Amino acid sequence: MLRRALRLGGGRGLVTRGPGSRGGGSTPGKDWDGKVSEIKKKIQSILPGGAWNPLYDTSHLPPEHSDVVIVGGGVLGLSVAYWLKKLEKRRGAIRVLVVERDHTYSQASTVLSIGGIHQQFSVPENIQLSLFSASFLRNINEYLAVVDAPPLDLQFNPLGYLLLASEKGAATMESNVRVQRQEGAKVCLMSPEQLRNKFPWINTEGVALASYGMENEGWFDPWCLLQGLRRKVQSMGVLFCQGEVTRFVSSSNHMKTTSGTEVTLKRIYEVHVKMDHSLEYQPVECAIVINAAGAWSGQVAELAGIGKGPPGTLQGTRLPVEPRKRYVYLWHCPQGPGLEAPLVTDISGAYFRREGLGNNYLGGLSPPEEEEPDPGNLEVDYGFFQDKVWPPLAQRVPAFETLKVRSAWAGYNDYNTFDQNGVVGPHPLVVNMYFAAGFSGHGLQQAPGVGRAVAEMVLEGHFQTIDLSPFLFSRFYLGEKIQEQVII
Amino acid sequence: MLKIIVPTIMLFPVTWYSNNSKIWINTTSYSLLISFMGLSFLNQPNNNSNNFSMNFFSDPLSSPLLILTMWLLPLMIMASQYHLKKEPWLRKKSYLSMLISLQMFLVMTFTANELILFYILFEATLIPTLIIITRWGNQTERLNAGLYFLFYTLIGSLPLLVALIHLQNSMGSLNLLTMNFWLKELPNSWSSNLLWMACIMAFMVKMPLYGFHLWLPKAHVEAPIAGSMVLAAVLLKLGGYGMMRITIILDPTTKAMAYPFLMLCLWGMIMTSSICLRQTDLKSLIAYSSVSHMALVIVAILIQTPWSFMGATALMIAHGLTSSMLFCLANSNYERIHSRTMLLARGLQTLLPLMATWWLLASLTNLALPPSINLIGELFVMMASFSWSNISIILMGLNMLITALYSLYMLITTQRGKPTFHTHNLNPSFTRENTLMSMHMLPLLFLTLNPKTILGPTLC
Repeated sequence: MLRRALRLGGGRGLVTRGPGSRGGGSTPGKDWDGKVSEIKKKIQSILPGGAWNPLYDTSHLPPEHSDVVIVGGGVLGLSVAYWLKKLEKRRGAIRVLVVERDHTYSQASTVLSIGGIHQQFSVPENIQLSLFSASFLRNINEYLAVVDAPPLDLQFNPLGYLLLASEKGAATMESNVRVQRQEGAKVCLMSPEQLRNKFPWINTEGVALASYGMENEGWFDPWCLLQGLRRKVQSMGVLFCQGEVTRFVSSSNHMKTTSGTEVTLKRIYEVHVKMDHSLEYQPVECAIVINAAGAWSGQVAELAGIGKGPPGTLQGTRLPVEPRKRYVYLWHCPQGPGLEAPLVTDISGAYFRREGLGNNYLGGLSPPEEEEPDPGNLEVDYGFFQDKVWPPLAQRVPAFETLKVRSAWAGYNDYNTFDQNGVVGPHPLVVNMYFAAGFSGHGLQQAPGVGRAVAEMVLEGHFQTIDLSPFLFSRFYLGEKIQEQVII
Repeated sequence: MLKIIVPTIMLFPVTWYSNNSKIWINTTSYSLLISFMGLSFLNQPNNNSNNFSMNFFSDPLSSPLLILTMWLLPLMIMASQYHLKKEPWLRKKSYLSMLISLQMFLVMTFTANELILFYILFEATLIPTLIIITRWGNQTERLNAGLYFLFYTLIGSLPLLVALIHLQNSMGSLNLLTMNFWLKELPNSWSSNLLWMACIMAFMVKMPLYGFHLWLPKAHVEAPIAGSMVLAAVLLKLGGYGMMRITIILDPTTKAMAYPFLMLCLWGMIMTSSICLRQTDLKSLIAYSSVSHMALVIVAILIQTPWSFMGATALMIAHGLTSSMLFCLANSNYERIHSRTMLLARGLQTLLPLMATWWLLASLTNLALPPSINLIGELFVMMASFSWSNISIILMGLNMLITALYSLYMLITTQRGKPTFHTHNLNPSFTRENTLMSMHMLPLLFLTLNPKTILGPTLC
């Protein structure tokens, strides 16, 4: 009995944990070097100051306890981590762990996006978020400064967005621009003649009105933002872990509301993080979970039991975020619009922007609901470009009749099937899960503002700077859509 | 003494042979009965000691500490019930056995007649504590914490062993009862300085003194609740008790040698209180507050006046109960929210009002609100140190201010304010938790009515 009590084998012996994977050379020379570094690591772990498990090396596993676990390490997850650390009142107050499944970000929406930022929304909160993001990006080297690290070059091209509207959509565009101007965005309306004067390469047939963003709009390099956030967040003490969240262990309380209906409130107290290519997992005890998993937020929410209930009730309301595949095509057109071309969105929905200085252009089209491509993989359908994207572009910009497609890629859009706007804030029944997902293509440009809002929610209990209460989860149950007025 | 020791040893068969569903109730009730039996030690007919046998005695200094130790065992067992719920039976019984063996060693330590016996038991208490911290602690850092705890205390106390053996050889006997009578002045030489250092360092590290306190926050934070309770309430007082006993033979070297330690204490008091203001981890805050209170006790013991001894004893008992209660409160938070960060558990007064009452009472006694015995202890120590040196009142006063600041900061951050979304479904307070808190607080409040029980041997 005493021997068992003396065995320092870790707190939960019932959990299966296999030894970590070891990749080592088999030649004697390499083996010796590996052995020496292994011995050094063991000695270092025994000396006071390091975490130590006597049985096997656990340095690749996340810690056993973290106050906040952020599921998803894309721009939204990192933004939440950054603001949590920035708004905590004492240094080191909150321990944050960011769990990211794929550290190469090969399928993440952040890096596969075209990096545009604009304020031409109709929902005022969206405009405020984008305005804040624009000021964040302009001052990024003050926000994300790390000692001894080079400053970030976001390659922000502030060339603006140009939205075109036909007769039918002109009234919507006017009211949208009024809302945008009220919030402080600098957008101007242009008639077809003004369009032709400013951008001679546009064919204004069918265009009744255009709105052009003059400040704080454009595009930037999302990889740079991601790397800058990663660097800064690591310097602030956030722990990173490469792994997949496979399970939430939660405790439930059956309670009654004041009107007598019974509700079951859940609290997640443990997150199982599974390592890559192995069955090994680490249970991380946590107080708060933040769902910033992008296109896979719906799956993560299902793991927490959101949506498991009779449909029509609050328990049965799922998080309606699903991955949708979007194609982006890169083509070369020497006679194209040139250096001053903004990001142009056509009436048909096709868009393009300049990429680099070599007469290259990026563009694409959001397919209509019935023709959504299968989101199972990220294969590109060039036929889609030929049939659906090229004709409207060629009609709008005659120079594009002679373009040559260089390459293309596909990325996931974390599409909110309810109202195509993000979900922010806590879930009413799973009390310690906060969402920061479902932005349907606008996640990158709204990330700084959303991160700050979620951090305020966690640390203060209410939104302080930008009030995102229309974006709470409860709107799915109450049926209150906040939809953008789409301009046709 | 056998009436305490044999029942405590028999608690082992009680845990191992009880029906599985009854181990908690059996051990808790029997240990409570043992503690009631121990209350008879408070009957001190004269200023001398009660001699029970050739090996054990009790004294107005050791009897309050003894009763505190015995009172804490049922409380520790009650506090551990929740976090051991999911462990297999064998492990639960091992945990209880560790607690009982620790209790046995502590009871014998506080009543030991002879200094070598005291030393052996003093070291023996390290083993169950180390096992509890490293085996049942919560985080990976617990191994680090256990190492710090073990090696700091061991290295501090090895010179004590050498000194005690030398004293035994030169004096012939180390019996505490007769030590008063063969007192000789230590000659003024380097060797007596070294002897002084050797005797005192063990207890300084245990108290802990400000320069050697690194093990305490780690051990307290990483230990499970029973470990934290016993560490804060009793093990720290072992150092104080030992120092009070051993300084009898160290006159007059104490007058000169104590200066650097007094300075360290006075400075360390303020430093650790200030660190408390910056803490974000609840248990860490309470651990640093322990260091700060114990620094007051060290000042009192080193000054060596009757009033300061009274203050030291009162402060030890009061701090034992208060600190243990604060750890229980922090643990009740942790069990609900699974995090020790204060910020994440705000506004609990609206959700758990009775627990808020206990928080309030514990914070008020922590900041030495009159008329609690915490205040009596601190006041006596302050008055004695003022008579030792007028300037120390500035530091002591500053310490009292900062203590009040961080106690209120802790209270306001956890209890007041708007509750967060993720505290919506907290379990209401269990009866077990309320009993635990009241059993900490009621002795503290009742002692306010009759503090002379805890004022120690120099009460005249």
